[in-house]
Amino acid sequence: MSAPVLARFSGAVRRTRAIALKEFRHMARDPQVVLLALAMPLVLILVFGYGVSFDVERVPLVVVDRDRTAESRALARAFTAAGTFDLVAVSDDEAAVEPLFRGGHAKVALVIPPDFQRAQGRGDTATAQLLVDGTDNATATIALGYAETIGLTLTQRDLPRGFDVPLRAEVRTLFNPALRSAVFIVPGLIVLVLVIVSVMLTALTVAREYERGSMEQLFATPVGRVELILGKLMPYFVLGLMQVLLVLVVGVYLFEVPLRGSVALIFVSASVFLLAELAFGLVISIVTRSQMVAAQVAAISTFLPALILSDFLFPIDNMPPPLRVVSSLLPPRYLVHALRAIMLRGNGVESVLPDLAAMGAFFIVMMVIATRKFRRTVA
Amino acid sequence: MPSEPETVVDVRGLTRRFGAFVAVNDVSFSVTRGEIFGYLGANGAGKSTTIRMLCGLLAPTDGRATVAGADIAREPGRVKRSIGYMSQKFSLYADLTVAENLDFYASAYALSGRLRAARMDEALELAGLADRRDALTRELPGGLRQRLALASALLHRPPVLFLDEPTAGVDPLARRAFWRVIRELARGGTTLFVTTHHLDEAELCHRVGMMVDGRLVALDTPAGLKATHVPGTMLSVGTGAGGEAGTRAVMAALAGMPGVHGWQPFGLRVHVRVDPELAGPGRLAARLAERGVATADVEATEAGLEDVFLALVRR
Repeated sequence: MSAPVLARFSGAVRRTRAIALKEFRHMARDPQVVLLALAMPLVLILVFGYGVSFDVERVPLVVVDRDRTAESRALARAFTAAGTFDLVAVSDDEAAVEPLFRGGHAKVALVIPPDFQRAQGRGDTATAQLLVDGTDNATATIALGYAETIGLTLTQRDLPRGFDVPLRAEVRTLFNPALRSAVFIVPGLIVLVLVIVSVMLTALTVAREYERGSMEQLFATPVGRVELILGKLMPYFVLGLMQVLLVLVVGVYLFEVPLRGSVALIFVSASVFLLAELAFGLVISIVTRSQMVAAQVAAISTFLPALILSDFLFPIDNMPPPLRVVSSLLPPRYLVHALRAIMLRGNGVESVLPDLAAMGAFFIVMMVIATRKFRRTVA
Repeated sequence: MPSEPETVVDVRGLTRRFGAFVAVNDVSFSVTRGEIFGYLGANGAGKSTTIRMLCGLLAPTDGRATVAGADIAREPGRVKRSIGYMSQKFSLYADLTVAENLDFYASAYALSGRLRAARMDEALELAGLADRRDALTRELPGGLRQRLALASALLHRPPVLFLDEPTAGVDPLARRAFWRVIRELARGGTTLFVTTHHLDEAELCHRVGMMVDGRLVALDTPAGLKATHVPGTMLSVGTGAGGEAGTRAVMAALAGMPGVHGWQPFGLRVHVRVDPELAGPGRLAARLAERGVATADVEATEAGLEDVFLALVRR
């Protein structure tokens, strides 16, 4: 009884391997695809790593010091010393601020009123005004945050002990104290790269078989549906893991992204995610049967969620409830969450198990749909 | 070897509906071992649908069929192991080499070891590509690609081979070479089921089934079909310098003439089926002259399957 089962199994393995090998050969004949698959992560990580930075550095600052005392100068120095603000002008007239803002020469103005030192001497709250150009929203918000931190530090340092300090929230950032964007971006970028290239390519591969008429030929051979699906996934799975490796290496060595957790766990998580998304790509391909349509559907249904709904750029907590539901049904957010936990916090497998389970469930659902749809659409 | 011909494909009341459309309507026939069975019909007549059901690619709505002893509805897996199939569209991977294509099909049929190597060599031999195994398939001329597709469909030595329009888009010389191979296979005991709309190819089949609107309307040897469906003697009438006007005049004169079964234009000539008494030398020409067509030249010709096909479609 076991001999025929074994023979059947070895036949299945041989046929799956045949499909995978054939797919690898298609890839090898079309090296642009592989090149694109490996160049894309590099371009993306450079663009996101350098270009799309949430770090606010060298914000042009104008200081309007109407107090001209040691205290007022200390405050101005505290602002310029951190490297966040770049002093472009000093003036004693507030009217100088607006032309500088309009001309785009300054984005932030620190206005110190004439009684600054005296107020501080009296023990009153010494108030300085911070003017921010609100047209650049992101810079404005972040500049405000920095300014607050600087102000607080200054207050605490200069206030005599035992004095009654008005209580204010103090923000302490853990794990990423410098709030460097690259640290946030790399986990999200891995997700983005995987969906763009791998899912897109998988979505195209089955549609291509339908388009050139070879699908019918394949179905007339003893190659089974599951064998066909697994064989087709394999090369893109390998390609996807290579992309993960590439982004990790560049992230760690070029952008000094910390790698606190287990590399193996990163790859396990990425593998589960890849399987889920590749199966999704297959479903798209099987349903659309056209490379054109498949590419568009893949772009909309995988790229956008990976970019927008993954917590990569926009916090899920800030989303309206319907979007939060959509986000929780798709795999990207789980990998972003898992990768941040592993890479940045050094968490172990127990903290990413829910993420792995969610992605695994998505994979199973997609595989069931893929095989079902395949059967129905054989002819 | 049994003296009684062995039935390899047995089809009983096979029917396939797509919604309200009946693509294949209650079709029954059987094909014996080593036979070349031609399946003829216009586009959309149900040829490809029949072949896809017989290959286990499409479940029948009604009726049953066995291929090499396997039931197509209940055991499609067994069917697939015992058939070779060349689909209508070009089935090889153009971006793979000759050897890579063969390699893929050999693995798809789980061939291994020495047998695999031997079969691949034979396939290269059959396709005439032994010295071009590393050529990209897209660089091969159509005829060679077709032979390579045939050779890959034969790698596992299937007892039954289904060819769906195998020579579409292949030049006449390559078609003849292809049919030599097909007849060779049939002599070796392979059963061949071929759809075509080249009627000259149908003449090369042992038996021909004709499909019209999903029904199998005729099934016989080519000679039998002609005797049944285009009875009478076939004469060819020309009008010399008359041109198309002359052809029209001939057809007008034929209308209502006793002893004439039917006619159809054939280039600038008209093919006329007549009773034996009209077939004698000069008889038809004389009748035509009575009806005002003086310059007709009449010669004997032979009915083709095309005449059968047209007669069936018009009925």
